[in-house]
Amino acid sequence: MKQRVWDLPVRLVHWLLAGLIAFSWWSVHNHHTDWHIWSGCAILTLLIFRLMWGFVGSSTARFSSFVRGPRTILAYLRGRWSGIGHTPLGALSVLALFGALAVQVALGLISEDEDGLFTGPLSGLVSIDTSDKARDIHELWFDVILVLIVVHVAAIIFYRLRGKDLTKPMITGRAVLDPGTQPMRPGKWWVAMICLALSIGTVRWIIAGAPPFGHWAPAS
Amino acid sequence: MRLVPLALVACTALISGCGGPETSQANNGSANISNESRNEDQAVAANMEARVSLGDAARVMHARHEGMETIGKNFKVLTREIRGGSPNLGTVRASAATITKLAFESGAWFPGGTGPEVGKTGAKPEIWQPQNKADFAAKLHNFQIAAPRFNAAASGNDVAAIKARFAELGGTCKACHDKYRTDMHH
Repeated sequence: MKQRVWDLPVRLVHWLLAGLIAFSWWSVHNHHTDWHIWSGCAILTLLIFRLMWGFVGSSTARFSSFVRGPRTILAYLRGRWSGIGHTPLGALSVLALFGALAVQVALGLISEDEDGLFTGPLSGLVSIDTSDKARDIHELWFDVILVLIVVHVAAIIFYRLRGKDLTKPMITGRAVLDPGTQPMRPGKWWVAMICLALSIGTVRWIIAGAPPFGHWAPAS
Repeated sequence: MRLVPLALVACTALISGCGGPETSQANNGSANISNESRNEDQAVAANMEARVSLGDAARVMHARHEGMETIGKNFKVLTREIRGGSPNLGTVRASAATITKLAFESGAWFPGGTGPEVGKTGAKPEIWQPQNKADFAAKLHNFQIAAPRFNAAASGNDVAAIKARFAELGGTCKACHDKYRTDMHH
Protein backbone atom coordinates (compact mmCIF):
# COMPACT_ATOMS: atom_id res chain seq x y z
CA MET A 1 0.00 0.00 0.00
CA LYS A 2 1.28 3.47 -0.85
CA GLN A 3 1.74 5.91 1.98
CA ARG A 4 2.37 9.64 2.17
CA VAL A 5 5.96 10.80 1.65
CA TRP A 6 5.85 14.38 0.36
CA ASP A 7 3.20 16.95 1.28
CA LEU A 8 1.62 19.34 -1.22
CA PRO A 9 3.75 22.41 -0.33
CA VAL A 10 7.00 20.47 -0.88
CA ARG A 11 5.80 19.14 -4.22
CA LEU A 12 4.46 22.51 -5.39
CA VAL A 13 7.71 24.28 -4.46
CA HIS A 14 9.68 21.62 -6.30
CA TRP A 15 7.79 21.77 -9.60
CA LEU A 16 7.26 25.52 -9.54
CA LEU A 17 11.01 26.00 -9.03
CA ALA A 18 11.74 23.68 -11.95
CA GLY A 19 9.34 25.62 -14.17
CA LEU A 20 10.45 29.08 -13.04
CA ILE A 21 14.16 28.28 -13.48
CA ALA A 22 13.44 27.23 -17.07
CA PHE A 23 11.27 30.32 -17.61
CA SER A 24 13.93 32.63 -16.13
CA TRP A 25 16.49 31.26 -18.56
CA TRP A 26 14.15 31.52 -21.55
CA SER A 27 12.83 35.01 -20.81
CA VAL A 28 16.23 36.65 -20.34
CA HIS A 29 17.46 35.15 -23.60
CA ASN A 30 14.43 36.41 -25.49
CA HIS A 31 14.38 40.10 -24.59
CA HIS A 32 11.87 39.71 -21.76
CA THR A 33 14.08 40.93 -18.94
CA ASP A 34 11.03 42.32 -17.13
CA TRP A 35 9.48 38.83 -16.99
CA HIS A 36 12.87 37.46 -15.92
CA ILE A 37 12.89 39.79 -12.91
CA TRP A 38 9.32 38.82 -11.93
CA SER A 39 10.27 35.16 -12.27
CA GLY A 40 13.20 35.76 -9.92
CA CYS A 41 10.87 37.41 -7.40
CA ALA A 42 8.57 34.37 -7.59
CA ILE A 43 11.56 32.08 -7.00
CA LEU A 44 12.54 34.19 -3.99
CA THR A 45 9.01 33.83 -2.61
CA LEU A 46 9.25 30.04 -2.94
CA LEU A 47 12.69 29.97 -1.30
CA ILE A 48 11.53 31.98 1.71
CA PHE A 49 8.40 29.85 2.01
CA ARG A 50 10.41 26.62 1.80
CA LEU A 51 12.92 27.87 4.37
CA MET A 52 10.09 28.49 6.86
CA TRP A 53 8.32 25.24 5.96
CA GLY A 54 11.63 23.51 6.68
CA PHE A 55 11.13 24.42 10.34
CA VAL A 56 7.37 24.18 10.83
CA GLY A 57 6.18 21.92 7.99
CA SER A 58 5.56 18.21 7.58
CA SER A 59 8.09 15.71 8.94
CA THR A 60 9.83 15.12 5.58
CA ALA A 61 9.93 18.86 4.85
CA ARG A 62 11.86 19.71 8.02
CA PHE A 63 15.60 20.25 7.82
CA SER A 64 15.95 18.59 11.21
CA SER A 65 14.59 15.37 9.69
CA PHE A 66 16.93 15.12 6.71
CA VAL A 67 20.10 17.18 7.25
CA ARG A 68 22.63 14.71 8.61
CA GLY A 69 26.33 14.64 9.42
CA PRO A 70 29.11 12.77 7.57
CA ARG A 71 28.77 9.67 9.76
CA THR A 72 25.14 9.09 8.73
CA ILE A 73 26.02 9.82 5.10
CA LEU A 74 28.72 7.12 5.23
CA ALA A 75 26.31 4.71 6.88
CA TYR A 76 23.80 5.42 4.09
CA LEU A 77 26.45 4.77 1.41
CA ARG A 78 27.23 1.41 3.09
CA GLY A 79 23.55 0.55 2.93
CA ARG A 80 22.89 0.94 6.63
CA TRP A 81 20.17 3.56 6.66
CA SER A 82 16.42 3.39 6.44
CA GLY A 83 13.81 6.09 6.41
CA ILE A 84 11.62 8.20 4.16
CA GLY A 85 12.13 11.59 2.57
CA HIS A 86 15.52 12.92 1.54
CA THR A 87 18.36 10.46 2.06
CA PRO A 88 21.39 11.74 4.01
CA LEU A 89 23.30 12.08 0.72
CA GLY A 90 20.34 13.60 -1.13
CA ALA A 91 20.09 16.19 1.63
CA LEU A 92 23.43 17.60 0.50
CA SER A 93 22.00 18.02 -3.00
CA VAL A 94 18.91 19.76 -1.59
CA LEU A 95 21.01 22.18 0.46
CA ALA A 96 23.36 22.86 -2.46
CA LEU A 97 20.47 23.59 -4.83
CA PHE A 98 18.63 25.87 -2.42
CA GLY A 99 21.90 27.60 -1.49
CA ALA A 100 22.89 28.14 -5.12
CA LEU A 101 19.42 29.50 -5.93
CA ALA A 102 19.58 31.87 -2.94
CA VAL A 103 22.94 33.22 -4.17
CA GLN A 104 21.52 33.60 -7.68
CA VAL A 105 18.46 35.53 -6.47
CA ALA A 106 20.59 37.76 -4.22
CA LEU A 107 22.84 38.62 -7.19
CA GLY A 108 19.81 39.27 -9.39
CA LEU A 109 18.24 41.63 -6.87
CA ILE A 110 21.20 44.04 -7.09
CA SER A 111 21.90 43.55 -10.83
CA GLU A 112 21.13 45.80 -13.75
CA ASP A 113 21.17 44.97 -17.45
CA GLU A 114 23.85 46.26 -19.79
CA ASP A 115 21.82 49.31 -20.81
CA GLY A 116 20.39 50.19 -17.41
CA LEU A 117 16.88 49.58 -18.77
CA PHE A 118 16.10 46.85 -16.26
CA THR A 119 17.26 46.78 -12.67
CA GLY A 120 16.79 44.50 -9.72
CA PRO A 121 14.74 46.14 -6.93
CA LEU A 122 17.77 46.38 -4.61
CA SER A 123 20.21 47.72 -7.23
CA GLY A 124 19.71 51.19 -5.77
CA LEU A 125 21.44 50.01 -2.59
CA VAL A 126 24.74 49.40 -4.40
CA SER A 127 26.90 51.35 -6.84
CA ILE A 128 26.55 51.09 -10.62
CA ASP A 129 29.86 49.21 -10.80
CA THR A 130 28.72 46.71 -8.18
CA SER A 131 25.45 46.24 -10.06
CA ASP A 132 27.27 45.52 -13.31
CA LYS A 133 29.65 43.08 -11.62
CA ALA A 134 26.71 41.37 -9.90
CA ARG A 135 25.12 40.84 -13.32
CA ASP A 136 28.31 39.27 -14.68
CA ILE A 137 28.50 36.87 -11.73
CA HIS A 138 24.73 36.25 -11.95
CA GLU A 139 25.30 35.08 -15.53
CA LEU A 140 28.23 32.82 -14.59
CA TRP A 141 26.50 31.47 -11.49
CA PHE A 142 23.78 29.95 -13.64
CA ASP A 143 26.39 27.38 -14.72
CA VAL A 144 26.75 26.33 -11.06
CA ILE A 145 22.98 25.81 -10.91
CA LEU A 146 23.07 23.87 -14.17
CA VAL A 147 25.76 21.52 -12.81
CA LEU A 148 23.68 20.90 -9.68
CA ILE A 149 20.58 20.23 -11.81
CA VAL A 150 22.57 17.74 -13.93
CA VAL A 151 23.74 15.94 -10.76
CA HIS A 152 20.16 15.97 -9.44
CA VAL A 153 18.71 14.47 -12.63
CA ALA A 154 21.61 11.99 -12.97
CA ALA A 155 20.92 10.74 -9.44
CA ILE A 156 17.24 10.25 -10.29
CA ILE A 157 18.19 8.24 -13.41
CA PHE A 158 20.71 6.22 -11.34
CA TYR A 159 18.02 5.24 -8.81
CA ARG A 160 15.53 4.53 -11.61
CA LEU A 161 18.01 2.08 -13.18
CA ARG A 162 18.30 0.40 -9.81
CA GLY A 163 14.53 0.03 -9.68
CA LYS A 164 13.56 2.98 -7.50
CA ASP A 165 11.22 5.59 -9.02
CA LEU A 166 11.75 8.97 -7.35
CA THR A 167 9.77 11.07 -9.83
CA LYS A 168 6.32 9.64 -9.24
CA PRO A 169 6.31 10.20 -5.46
CA MET A 170 7.30 13.84 -6.12
CA ILE A 171 4.14 14.09 -8.26
CA THR A 172 1.63 12.04 -6.24
CA GLY A 173 3.24 12.49 -2.83
CA ARG A 174 2.95 8.76 -2.14
CA ALA A 175 5.28 5.77 -2.26
CA VAL A 176 5.45 2.15 -1.12
CA LEU A 177 7.40 2.16 2.14
CA ASP A 178 9.55 -0.55 3.71
CA PRO A 179 7.61 -2.41 6.38
CA GLY A 180 7.92 -0.76 9.76
CA THR A 181 8.78 2.69 8.31
CA GLN A 182 6.81 5.62 9.65
CA PRO A 183 4.94 7.56 6.93
CA MET A 184 5.11 11.36 6.71
CA ARG A 185 3.52 13.37 9.50
CA PRO A 186 1.71 16.21 7.71
CA GLY A 187 2.01 19.87 8.63
CA LYS A 188 -0.94 22.13 9.33
CA TRP A 189 -2.56 23.90 6.38
CA TRP A 190 -3.01 27.15 8.27
CA VAL A 191 0.68 27.17 9.20
CA ALA A 192 1.44 26.82 5.48
CA MET A 193 -0.84 29.81 4.81
CA ILE A 194 1.00 31.91 7.39
CA CYS A 195 4.35 30.94 5.83
CA LEU A 196 3.02 31.86 2.39
CA ALA A 197 1.70 35.23 3.59
CA LEU A 198 5.00 36.00 5.30
CA SER A 199 7.06 35.07 2.23
CA ILE A 200 4.86 37.14 -0.10
CA GLY A 201 5.00 40.08 2.33
CA THR A 202 8.79 39.89 2.54
CA VAL A 203 9.18 39.82 -1.24
CA ARG A 204 6.78 42.74 -1.69
CA TRP A 205 8.91 44.71 0.75
CA ILE A 206 12.05 43.82 -1.27
CA ILE A 207 10.35 44.79 -4.55
CA ALA A 208 9.68 48.24 -3.06
CA GLY A 209 13.44 48.59 -2.55
CA ALA A 210 13.46 47.40 1.09
CA PRO A 211 12.35 50.69 2.72
CA PRO A 212 13.56 52.54 4.69
CA PHE A 213 16.99 51.33 3.49
CA GLY A 214 16.13 51.93 -0.13
CA HIS A 215 13.28 52.94 -2.38
CA TRP A 216 12.36 51.56 -5.78
CA ALA A 217 9.49 52.94 -7.83
CA PRO A 218 7.93 50.86 -10.59
CA ALA A 219 8.95 51.85 -14.11
CA SER A 220 6.15 53.92 -15.58
CA MET B 1 -7.52 52.19 -24.91
CA ARG B 2 -4.30 50.70 -26.15
CA LEU B 3 -5.87 49.93 -29.50
CA VAL B 4 -5.65 53.51 -30.75
CA PRO B 5 -1.86 53.92 -30.54
CA LEU B 6 -1.42 50.37 -31.83
CA ALA B 7 -3.55 51.12 -34.86
CA LEU B 8 -1.61 54.34 -35.39
CA VAL B 9 1.66 52.45 -35.36
CA ALA B 10 0.28 49.83 -37.70
CA CYS B 11 -0.78 52.52 -40.20
CA THR B 12 2.57 54.24 -39.93
CA ALA B 13 4.33 50.96 -40.55
CA LEU B 14 2.17 50.31 -43.61
CA ILE B 15 2.69 53.76 -45.07
CA SER B 16 6.44 53.80 -44.59
CA GLY B 17 6.66 50.20 -45.71
CA CYS B 18 9.00 49.34 -42.86
CA GLY B 19 8.83 47.72 -39.48
CA GLY B 20 6.09 45.15 -39.30
CA PRO B 21 4.71 43.81 -36.07
CA GLU B 22 7.91 44.73 -34.22
CA THR B 23 7.04 48.41 -34.30
CA SER B 24 3.81 47.72 -32.45
CA GLN B 25 6.00 47.28 -29.37
CA ALA B 26 6.43 51.03 -29.28
CA ASN B 27 4.36 52.79 -26.65
CA ASN B 28 2.03 55.72 -27.00
CA GLY B 29 4.80 58.30 -27.16
CA SER B 30 6.84 56.44 -29.74
CA ALA B 31 3.77 56.16 -31.92
CA ASN B 32 3.68 59.94 -32.16
CA ILE B 33 7.39 59.98 -32.80
CA SER B 34 7.27 57.70 -35.81
CA ASN B 35 4.33 59.70 -37.15
CA GLU B 36 6.03 63.06 -37.27
CA SER B 37 9.47 61.89 -38.22
CA ARG B 38 8.89 59.70 -41.23
CA ASN B 39 10.62 62.07 -43.62
CA GLU B 40 13.58 62.67 -41.37
CA ASP B 41 14.39 58.97 -41.16
CA GLN B 42 15.87 59.50 -44.60
CA ALA B 43 18.66 61.60 -43.11
CA VAL B 44 19.81 58.64 -41.02
CA ALA B 45 19.28 56.33 -43.97
CA ALA B 46 21.47 58.55 -46.16
CA ASN B 47 24.27 58.34 -43.60
CA MET B 48 23.96 54.56 -43.72
CA GLU B 49 24.32 54.54 -47.50
CA ALA B 50 27.76 56.11 -47.30
CA ARG B 51 30.45 53.44 -47.31
CA VAL B 52 33.61 54.20 -45.38
CA SER B 53 37.20 53.09 -45.89
CA LEU B 54 38.75 50.61 -43.50
CA GLY B 55 40.67 53.34 -41.68
CA ASP B 56 37.58 55.45 -41.25
CA ALA B 57 35.63 52.37 -40.16
CA ALA B 58 37.94 51.87 -37.17
CA ARG B 59 37.48 55.51 -36.19
CA VAL B 60 33.67 55.40 -36.58
CA MET B 61 33.37 52.12 -34.69
CA HIS B 62 35.49 53.46 -31.86
CA ALA B 63 33.36 56.61 -31.63
CA ARG B 64 30.22 54.44 -31.74
CA HIS B 65 31.43 52.14 -28.99
CA GLU B 66 32.52 55.01 -26.73
CA GLY B 67 29.31 56.91 -27.46
CA MET B 68 27.03 53.96 -26.71
CA GLU B 69 28.95 53.22 -23.54
CA THR B 70 28.59 56.82 -22.37
CA ILE B 71 24.88 56.75 -23.17
CA GLY B 72 24.54 53.51 -21.19
CA LYS B 73 26.42 54.88 -18.19
CA ASN B 74 24.26 57.98 -18.11
CA PHE B 75 21.13 55.90 -18.50
CA LYS B 76 22.13 53.89 -15.44
CA VAL B 77 22.66 57.09 -13.47
CA LEU B 78 19.22 58.28 -14.57
CA THR B 79 17.52 54.97 -13.69
CA ARG B 80 18.85 55.25 -10.14
CA GLU B 81 17.76 58.87 -9.80
CA ILE B 82 14.34 58.45 -11.36
CA ARG B 83 13.31 55.07 -9.91
CA GLY B 84 15.00 55.69 -6.58
CA GLY B 85 12.28 58.06 -5.38
CA SER B 86 13.49 61.67 -5.09
CA PRO B 87 15.66 62.44 -8.11
CA ASN B 88 18.45 65.00 -7.96
CA LEU B 89 17.38 67.20 -10.87
CA GLY B 90 20.91 68.55 -11.37
CA THR B 91 22.19 65.03 -11.97
CA VAL B 92 19.21 64.21 -14.19
CA ARG B 93 19.75 67.33 -16.32
CA ALA B 94 23.47 66.68 -16.79
CA SER B 95 22.88 63.09 -17.96
CA ALA B 96 19.92 64.11 -20.15
CA ALA B 97 22.10 66.71 -21.87
CA THR B 98 24.92 64.21 -22.46
CA ILE B 99 22.56 61.62 -23.95
CA THR B 100 20.89 64.23 -26.16
CA LYS B 101 24.23 65.45 -27.51
CA LEU B 102 25.27 61.87 -28.33
CA ALA B 103 21.85 61.09 -29.83
CA PHE B 104 22.45 63.81 -32.42
CA GLU B 105 25.89 62.37 -33.17
CA SER B 106 24.53 58.82 -33.41
CA GLY B 107 23.09 59.42 -36.89
CA ALA B 108 26.64 59.16 -38.27
CA TRP B 109 27.60 56.03 -36.34
CA PHE B 110 26.32 53.42 -38.79
CA PRO B 111 27.77 54.00 -42.27
CA GLY B 112 28.14 50.97 -44.53
CA GLY B 113 31.34 49.00 -43.90
CA THR B 114 31.28 49.29 -40.07
CA GLY B 115 29.70 45.93 -39.32
CA PRO B 116 31.13 42.80 -37.67
CA GLU B 117 32.90 41.89 -40.94
CA VAL B 118 35.56 44.57 -40.25
CA GLY B 119 35.95 44.37 -36.46
CA LYS B 120 34.53 43.55 -33.07
CA THR B 121 31.17 45.23 -32.61
CA GLY B 122 27.77 44.64 -31.03
CA ALA B 123 26.10 45.88 -34.21
CA LYS B 124 24.41 43.02 -36.08
CA PRO B 125 25.01 42.72 -39.84
CA GLU B 126 21.20 42.82 -40.27
CA ILE B 127 21.39 46.60 -39.83
CA TRP B 128 22.76 47.01 -43.35
CA GLN B 129 20.60 44.41 -45.08
CA PRO B 130 18.41 46.12 -47.68
CA GLN B 131 15.15 44.95 -46.12
CA ASN B 132 16.12 46.34 -42.69
CA LYS B 133 17.81 49.64 -43.50
CA ALA B 134 14.64 51.71 -43.38
CA ASP B 135 13.49 50.01 -40.19
CA PHE B 136 16.83 50.58 -38.50
CA ALA B 137 16.95 54.21 -39.62
CA ALA B 138 13.45 54.74 -38.22
CA LYS B 139 14.39 53.15 -34.89
CA LEU B 140 17.57 55.19 -34.57
CA HIS B 141 15.64 58.30 -35.46
CA ASN B 142 13.04 57.53 -32.78
CA PHE B 143 15.90 57.63 -30.30
CA GLN B 144 17.05 60.96 -31.72
CA ILE B 145 13.55 62.36 -31.15
CA ALA B 146 13.01 60.85 -27.71
CA ALA B 147 16.32 62.12 -26.28
CA PRO B 148 15.66 65.87 -26.73
CA ARG B 149 12.08 65.34 -25.59
CA PHE B 150 13.35 63.81 -22.39
CA ASN B 151 15.93 66.59 -22.15
CA ALA B 152 13.15 69.16 -22.44
CA ALA B 153 11.13 67.45 -19.70
CA ALA B 154 14.25 67.27 -17.52
CA SER B 155 14.70 71.05 -17.75
CA GLY B 156 11.39 71.38 -15.89
CA ASN B 157 10.45 70.26 -12.42
CA ASP B 158 7.57 67.89 -13.27
CA VAL B 159 8.93 64.55 -12.04
CA ALA B 160 5.98 62.60 -13.47
CA ALA B 161 6.66 64.05 -16.93
CA ILE B 162 10.39 63.33 -16.56
CA LYS B 163 9.53 59.76 -15.65
CA ALA B 164 7.19 59.32 -18.62
CA ARG B 165 9.71 60.75 -21.12
CA PHE B 166 12.45 58.64 -19.60
CA ALA B 167 10.39 55.46 -20.07
CA GLU B 168 9.74 56.55 -23.66
CA LEU B 169 13.48 57.06 -24.21
CA GLY B 170 14.28 53.63 -22.77
CA GLY B 171 11.67 52.12 -25.09
CA THR B 172 13.54 53.45 -28.12
CA CYS B 173 16.82 51.94 -26.86
CA LYS B 174 15.18 48.55 -26.30
CA ALA B 175 13.28 48.48 -29.61
CA CYS B 176 16.55 48.80 -31.52
CA HIS B 177 18.80 46.71 -29.27
CA ASP B 178 16.38 43.76 -29.21
CA LYS B 179 16.65 43.45 -32.96
CA TYR B 180 19.99 44.88 -33.98
CA ARG B 181 22.51 44.32 -31.20
CA THR B 182 24.32 41.14 -30.25
CA ASP B 183 24.89 40.32 -26.59
CA MET B 184 28.26 41.86 -25.83
CA HIS B 185 30.63 40.57 -23.23
CA HIS B 186 33.52 42.82 -22.40
